[in-house]
Amino acid sequence: MTRPAEAERAPRPTLRRVLRRAHLGVTLLAVTLASLTLTVAGFIALRAYANHNLHLIATSMSYTAEAAVVFKDRAAAEEGLALIASPEEIADVSIVDGEGRVFAQWQRPADRSLFDLERHLGKLAFTSPVILPITHDGVEIATIQLRGSAGGLLRFLALGLAVVLVCLGLSAMGALILSHYLQNGIVGPLQGLAKVAHAVRRERAFAQRVPPAAIAELNDLGDDFNALLGELEAWQARLQRENASLAHQASHDSLTGLPNRAVFEARLDEAMQEAAGTDSRVGVLFLDSDRFKETNDRLGHAAGDAVLATVAARLRDGLRPTDLAARLGGDEFAVLLAPLREVADAVRIADDILASLEAPIPLPGGDSVVASLSIGVAVFPDHAEDATTLLHQADAAMYLAKRLQPGGRRLAGTGDTPSEDREIPIASHL
Amino acid sequence: MLLLTPAWAQPEVQADARASSVTVVQVVMGIISYTHWPVEPAELRLCVVGPTDYADALLQGATQASGRPVRARRLGADGGSPGTECDIAYIGSLGEANRRHLVTVLAGHPVLSIIERDDACSVGSMFCLRIQGPQVSFQINLDSVARSGVRVSPKVLQLGQRKGVSP
Repeated sequence: MTRPAEAERAPRPTLRRVLRRAHLGVTLLAVTLASLTLTVAGFIALRAYANHNLHLIATSMSYTAEAAVVFKDRAAAEEGLALIASPEEIADVSIVDGEGRVFAQWQRPADRSLFDLERHLGKLAFTSPVILPITHDGVEIATIQLRGSAGGLLRFLALGLAVVLVCLGLSAMGALILSHYLQNGIVGPLQGLAKVAHAVRRERAFAQRVPPAAIAELNDLGDDFNALLGELEAWQARLQRENASLAHQASHDSLTGLPNRAVFEARLDEAMQEAAGTDSRVGVLFLDSDRFKETNDRLGHAAGDAVLATVAARLRDGLRPTDLAARLGGDEFAVLLAPLREVADAVRIADDILASLEAPIPLPGGDSVVASLSIGVAVFPDHAEDATTLLHQADAAMYLAKRLQPGGRRLAGTGDTPSEDREIPIASHL
Repeated sequence: MLLLTPAWAQPEVQADARASSVTVVQVVMGIISYTHWPVEPAELRLCVVGPTDYADALLQGATQASGRPVRARRLGADGGSPGTECDIAYIGSLGEANRRHLVTVLAGHPVLSIIERDDACSVGSMFCLRIQGPQVSFQINLDSVARSGVRVSPKVLQLGQRKGVSP
């Protein structure tokens, strides 16, 4: 599997990180914008009210100080100013008489640490001092000049900032919790999907299914994926069945149902290796029909086929489950005997086979025929050390049997001429 | 009670009667401006009763900021009837008997009474001047104010109620 090089260089962000970042970003932006807007609007409104308040205070002061100005009582005027100004948001106030001289004044004591800040903010917020005339009998006798203090505005801004920060914190927490929930809803099903896909790819576990998800789109995706898995599973099963069928067809003879030469040779190799390890024997019988061509020609192919199938069935029935009968081709058969204790056992089995063939074989036309086979017997390791030689030995013994005593059996390695173990050929009833 | 120190009453100013007299006019005009009569006269009649030290400037008359004239004349200790002929009585140094008589005469009439010299400010007069060299202050007898037929603005009364004020 190849992957683009750039993907290796820069690790991709996880969905969790993307979700969290998006949530945080949107939330912080919204809270900041809302807070700033509210704070600015509040500041402007508060400034307007503060200005209005300053006018009210100035009016109140002019009323209070009027008599004191008329009677030129500076102490009374300053006491009146202080009385009104000290609890209010006033920075300084002065009364200027008709000749432009300062008659009385009051200034907030500068003993507070925030005084400078308040003064600057006050200058910023209240661009000009409030100037109000003091009239007596309809004549302006002095003016009162009032400058506001920004203490209240400063407190408002500080409170606004604190509220903004608290809101930011709360919103960030909310966003994280929200993204956590969302992530559980999205990432969980996706991870399940990825797990199943991985298992399918690695282990061919087509039976696995994606669990249902809470989110509709993800659930649809999971359903489609499951449907795809179902189709894949069905395909896989069909493919396996076809493969098995093809493999059987390739390794078995369709007429007799016996394995073919390739299977026989492979099994022979295995059995010989096993026998070499366990110090036991493997027997091979090579069988050939004596008059098959004649039967075929005389009675037809259907009769030939019936003879072959019956011979094959009788061969198979006379063997142990560990033994193997195979059709090597035409009218040639072979039998693998494994495990085998003694050479005589192989000879005895060959005799049993010859005996089982004495019964007539019914033909499709109602006739019957008795098959005659010659058998060559060879045993590993007595007659050969390898499969090819062993088969050859059995083949040679069979030819010898066919020539000297058709319908009989012969053990390999007993010379070209009929010897002491020469058998009486079984009579043919054909 | 109120003691008032005018801003211009500096110690270095020549402490003569003329300067005090001018200051007295200003204080009296101030008091008048805060006083309201039941029926506002078109012109105010100020009567100076008895011998005075600082009424010279006052006797020349004045005009209020509103344009209403204040006409002043001297009234003999027993001459005329101050209760009906005067809106304002500026009382000088009268004998004890004369002063009691004047108080009786003024009783029941809307007359603003200002006495030039009465440190105790206890005998029937509403405002009592206190002239110390160039400094002119005044006290208020609230009982007299309440009993009088004129109304004095609370602005002035508030000044009078101020505590701890001294020249």
